[in-house]
Amino acid sequence: MTDIAGEARFMGAVTALTMHEMQNILAIIRESAGLMGDILKVNARVDFKHRPNMERTLEHITTHVERGKGLLEATSRLAHSPDDDMLDSCDLAVHARVVALLSERLVRLKGASVNFTPVPAPLPVAVGALRVLMIGYQSVQWAVGSGTKDGHVKVELEPGQDFHIMTVVPPQGVTPDAKALDCIRKLLDDGRLEWDGRMLRIFFPVRK
Amino acid sequence: MDAINVLLIDDEEAFVTTLQERLELRGLNARVALDGRTGLQMIEADPPDVVVLDLRMPGISGTDVLRRIRAQWPGMPVIMLSGHGSDQDFESCMNLGASVYHKKPLDIAVLLESILSVVQGPVPTL
Repeated sequence: MTDIAGEARFMGAVTALTMHEMQNILAIIRESAGLMGDILKVNARVDFKHRPNMERTLEHITTHVERGKGLLEATSRLAHSPDDDMLDSCDLAVHARVVALLSERLVRLKGASVNFTPVPAPLPVAVGALRVLMIGYQSVQWAVGSGTKDGHVKVELEPGQDFHIMTVVPPQGVTPDAKALDCIRKLLDDGRLEWDGRMLRIFFPVRK
Repeated sequence: MDAINVLLIDDEEAFVTTLQERLELRGLNARVALDGRTGLQMIEADPPDVVVLDLRMPGISGTDVLRRIRAQWPGMPVIMLSGHGSDQDFESCMNLGASVYHKKPLDIAVLLESILSVVQGPVPTL
């Protein structure tokens, strides 16, 4: 019999370790660019032909290191999601943000963008991290559907008493595919899902 | 007022020596140890105002170095830096008495703010 959980854990452990190493690499790139920026700053009076190009390039490095940092953090969360302490519960506030980060590329390929509104407090739910990520990612995937130019997918959170809710709002004019919704519904053991014609609301039971 | 003495303990040589240069440009005295054992020897020989410590290193790990610092120099501020950002790592470092925990890569302004929050010293600028 194939031990899917064991294989997922193995893949997660190796991926997490590699992502951690990538964070070290980004740190070296960032510090090196930072040092070059410092040198330009302390020599501000020394003018040379390519100073603006250098400053612009250093700005690009810093911006994209930050972008990479966000993606690495999200991938690390995905890699750690089959860990034992993440199997039955997780923080929806953290994992909804991870969904938004991980789906950025997918959404951009469809000509749209994803907007995530964070919440300040943790939202503990009685659903494993990997399951939350699958549900969230598939919901965003459903929301962009066949693609729409300049549309926005909104991912929002609503804290509740018995359920914390993840809301996915598709771009205007996108209608859900019933089959795709069924797939998402099947992943929700103790939760439920509502589509009101404007937004998809996914109910995750609160961890008591 | 004397410059702040920082000891950076990290096995990523390119990272830590660049960080050392950047801190020195801002008027701090920064020394480097590339492993935990050397770091502890340097603390013993000349205690710094603050230690900036990597979590995962070959040989003695960052958490073990932190444990030993807490046992021998209970009041010494320790700022943890890590490319390993799990919630458990954060909790265990804070439980062991780390002053601050940061994930790599980080903005030097954020690190300076942390150093200043744990050490009384002049505000370093370029």
